[in-house]
Amino acid sequence: MSDQAIRLAGLCKAFGRNQVLRGVDLDLSGGQVTVLMGANGAGKSTLVKILCGVHAADSGSVTLAGQPFKPETPSEALRAGIVTVHQNINDGVVPDLDVASNLLLDGLASGGGVFLNGRKMRARAREIAAAVGLTIDVSRPVAGLSLADRQLVSIARAMAHQPRLLILDEPTSSLSAAEASRLFDLIDSLRARGVAILYISHRMSDIRRLADRIVSMRDGRISGVFEGPELDYSGAVRAMLGHEITEVDITIPQPGLPVLEVRDLVLRPGARPFSLTCHANEVVAITGLVGAGKSEFASVLFGTGAAVSGEVRLDGKPHRPASPRAAIDAGVFLSPKDRPVNAVVADFDILRNLTLPFLKRHSTAQFVRGASELATTRRMISEMGVVCQSPTDGIGTLSGGNQQKVMVARWMAEASRLLLLDEPFQGVDIQARRDIGHKIRETAATRATIVFVAELDEALEIADRVLVMSEHSIVGEHRNENIDVSAIMAQVVDASLPSAAGQ
Amino acid sequence: MQSGSPNAIDLAIKYGFLVLMAGLIVFFGVMAEGFLSPHSAVFILQSVAITGILALGVTATLVVGGFDLSIGAVATSALMLSSYAMVVWQLDAVSAVALCLGMGLLVGLVNGLLIVKMKVPDLLATLGMMFLLVGLQRIPTEGRSISTGMTLPDGTTASGIFSEGFLMLGRHRLDFILPNLVPLSVVFLVLIAIGVWVFLELTRHGRLMYAIGSNAKAAGLAGANVNGYKIAAYMISGTLASFGGVLLAARLGRGDVASGNNLLLDSVAAALIGFAVLGASKPNAFGTAIGALFVGILLQGLTMMNAPYYTQDFIKGGVLVIALVFTFALSGRGGRARG
Amino acid sequence: MITRRLFTALAATVAMVPGLAFAAEMPKPFDKPAEVKIALVRYLSTGDFFQAYLSGVEKQAAALGVDLRVLDSRQDAALQADMVDQAIALGVDGIIIQHGLTESMQAAAQRAVDAGIKVVAFDVNVENPKIPQIEQSDRDLARLALEQAVADNGTTWTAGYVYVPGIAPLDRRDETWKAVKAANPGIKQVAEFGTLDNPIANSVANQARSVLSANPGINVVFAPYDEFAKGVKIAVDEAGMSGQVSIYSADVSTSDIAAMREAGSAWKATAATNPAVVGEVSVRALAQLLAGEDPGRSVIVPPTLITQKMLNELDIKNMEELGAKLPAFAHADVAVPAWMPLPKR
Repeated sequence: MSDQAIRLAGLCKAFGRNQVLRGVDLDLSGGQVTVLMGANGAGKSTLVKILCGVHAADSGSVTLAGQPFKPETPSEALRAGIVTVHQNINDGVVPDLDVASNLLLDGLASGGGVFLNGRKMRARAREIAAAVGLTIDVSRPVAGLSLADRQLVSIARAMAHQPRLLILDEPTSSLSAAEASRLFDLIDSLRARGVAILYISHRMSDIRRLADRIVSMRDGRISGVFEGPELDYSGAVRAMLGHEITEVDITIPQPGLPVLEVRDLVLRPGARPFSLTCHANEVVAITGLVGAGKSEFASVLFGTGAAVSGEVRLDGKPHRPASPRAAIDAGVFLSPKDRPVNAVVADFDILRNLTLPFLKRHSTAQFVRGASELATTRRMISEMGVVCQSPTDGIGTLSGGNQQKVMVARWMAEASRLLLLDEPFQGVDIQARRDIGHKIRETAATRATIVFVAELDEALEIADRVLVMSEHSIVGEHRNENIDVSAIMAQVVDASLPSAAGQ
Repeated sequence: MQSGSPNAIDLAIKYGFLVLMAGLIVFFGVMAEGFLSPHSAVFILQSVAITGILALGVTATLVVGGFDLSIGAVATSALMLSSYAMVVWQLDAVSAVALCLGMGLLVGLVNGLLIVKMKVPDLLATLGMMFLLVGLQRIPTEGRSISTGMTLPDGTTASGIFSEGFLMLGRHRLDFILPNLVPLSVVFLVLIAIGVWVFLELTRHGRLMYAIGSNAKAAGLAGANVNGYKIAAYMISGTLASFGGVLLAARLGRGDVASGNNLLLDSVAAALIGFAVLGASKPNAFGTAIGALFVGILLQGLTMMNAPYYTQDFIKGGVLVIALVFTFALSGRGGRARG
Repeated sequence: MITRRLFTALAATVAMVPGLAFAAEMPKPFDKPAEVKIALVRYLSTGDFFQAYLSGVEKQAAALGVDLRVLDSRQDAALQADMVDQAIALGVDGIIIQHGLTESMQAAAQRAVDAGIKVVAFDVNVENPKIPQIEQSDRDLARLALEQAVADNGTTWTAGYVYVPGIAPLDRRDETWKAVKAANPGIKQVAEFGTLDNPIANSVANQARSVLSANPGINVVFAPYDEFAKGVKIAVDEAGMSGQVSIYSADVSTSDIAAMREAGSAWKATAATNPAVVGEVSVRALAQLLAGEDPGRSVIVPPTLITQKMLNELDIKNMEELGAKLPAFAHADVAVPAWMPLPKR
């Protein structure tokens, strides 16, 4: 095949102990839109970062138009024709500069002359803008543009480099339908010009509209390549989420009284209202793609966000916490996702991390009782099986799995009415994941438990019931017995798919 | 720090600064006659009492990941306010002190609200407050210093006096080992240092403040009232700074117009040097007190050896740089890169 | 204002030439004083000294009945030069330049002179023969204080000295101190210290205590700036050495008077020029120039010695009483032609 724009062979990359890419082989051809799908942590963004020169691969090779390609800096990758439009639109533009300066920024940064010729710059900028169908005054500051226009600016800026490969990372996540369709037209015209396009998205509507080929990634490997006149969308999703469930030994206990009752909750304007009930002695998993509204739901329950309308009751009483403290006092605990950002206090040791939310219970007259803290920490370390030297080890000395055990233990150290765990298995090895899951089920009798996970495997491993969330609403409910994985998959991917109605 | 066998670098990080201080004491003891005496020790303590108290306030803001540039100005404002209260309004000592502490509390509250509610970055908010106070303290007297019997802008003569009780705060000396040895301000420093240490290390509030400084988001999701504690930290800082100003007024016996920038710089230096003490790599009350003492010992010794004033600034800066190297480079774990 | 000015003018006229209509006796342009505009262009303004100086300028200007504009650059050298140009644009008849830097003010002063404006300068050398210099004599200040120190302690003593080099008035006072030491070999200086870290008194107190404990033999401290003296006094009190140390200084303020008068105070004497008088003299010298008279190339305002003993005997509590009870301090017979109206006292 001579039209290969770029070929990746055996790419591996590890960060510390964490093997992120485990040998990626992939060809990308000009004039073709390849959609890359993968759950969080599958390695998509690392792959992109290697291609655009942010990271270097540990092993493996990249060949660009027949030449070996090893960019050491983003600007080197850019000069070689690899252009990336990032998910966060503002990463691609400088808001304080005008459109013309933004469009010509890469030229400015890489040198040539000291003084700027305003008129010449604007003329060149207008040419570039016109090429992507952008019809705005190039002397306007970018800060005043809509998100969609900003994105077009960053794509237009990319186009100035005669790209061989254009990488778009979730480009429609903050665009309206009309804006997205403008973007798709642009992508069509680039495809027609023979540019290879790598399009990363979870939105099935985008994928249906654009994809010539779908590549699924899972656990640092390519887990499926789908091409041909009829693309197998469900197969692609299955390859991305994985479904080789290893003998799920869930015995569903008799649920207790209802603890959480949600009635007609609307998470954001325009979303469909939904209702659900969680009982004591029940573990419910809510699954769905990134951005489906799982974290927003958790926020409403934990007092960090508000719903548009609807009612939440906890043990029969209205539950509308104004702050995490209020939620905690009501017996609703949340172990948040993104451990390093939302949970770990890096300066603290295990003990101090573990007792953080319940210091009051370890204090007499505002003074912390060390013995009480130590006893609780010792107990939780042994119950969760945290591997450490002592309770006073710095949290940073632990592996990711053990850190996560401490973060979950933080909320299991005290009795709760409703325990929310948002992505509790994020960045955790398989053993720690089993340990944590086991512990969650073992202690579930006295409370209701909701686990928010994007990966279906994880949901099936832990839950009595699996709820599927899409477009900020619950679209499916499955008892975790002889479960129909493909039905869940279909609901995960798109609520309006005909197969979703089957349930 | 806790794990692994102690090696030379760990020991150097942990005890290096204390060893350096001990070495300094021995050096001055040999070189400067009279350095090793109870009197000299008390002199050192007294010279660092005011900056030490301010530094303990800065420490509170550093703990929550903030910074208070206004403390110097708060102190000099309290200096002016207490003098004005007694000389012009003829208030008694207790009311004057209460007024100043209230002023410090209020300034801290405003700083905290600016930072937490108005989202003004901490350095900018407290910088603004600093300028505001430097100007404000000059308005009532049209830039004059305040002293007993001064002439007011309207031409009348102020008839109030600095009450004996007030002056005692800065001048009274307690019998300890030798008669009339320990000034009250030193006692205040020691009490405040212990109080701040106990608060930060032993109470749950201190623990939560450290958590906020390390990861405010995680602390908030663990139920801590992040905004409340941040505001409280600035109120502690403002109150301690105003108390420092009261002691200054009691020592000087008049209200001097001053920006307080030297007080600010010295106390920030003490708090930052404190990062290096016992390898804490974080703001801490014990380290701050030692940091203040370290600077005091250095300056006392150098002055006794007739070193000119500009070399003293140079050496102060040098000590700070060394302390920061101890904290950030040698311990290799960064602590919090502020200031 | 009106009545006081009238009264002043009346009193002055009556005192000098009784029986004549007062306006007629004033030389031009002071026959119509309200039409005379003068500007004070300041470099330094915060602090008691500068406040008092300003009050002197204001009083003398009021006595003359002229229109005074005060332009304050707040230690901004460039701004001060611009303010001279601003004053020229305002169409003033005379300018007083108060402090500043020779480098920044020389050209600006020349521009004012070129514009036909009369200029006097206080404590800044603008290197212009047409511009009289108003000076308080720092050498005389130091000399008076040191003469008192010798009178009190004889010519053999152990001295501590407070000094920060590079500050013009302190450098001039330092010259006198060196001369006195050279003339009296019995005076032995064992320590020199000083700092301008503010609050200055507090910082100097910290240093002075270290110095006193290192040199317990010191019996005289020469601190030729009142903030220094205040700091030394705090240290002496704290060290319990008030009985054995004497402090001699320069400059004075209300709080200095209180400190000198404390029971057993170590602060024995200070020499001072009344800044208000310097302010008055500045305006009078400018007025002479405007009237076509020559106040001289340099107008020196003589200092006054103020001792603890005088203060106690006359029971002086503040600057006003100092002026009232020590006439030499309240008024200087400098730049006073017969026609010059003086401020009311």
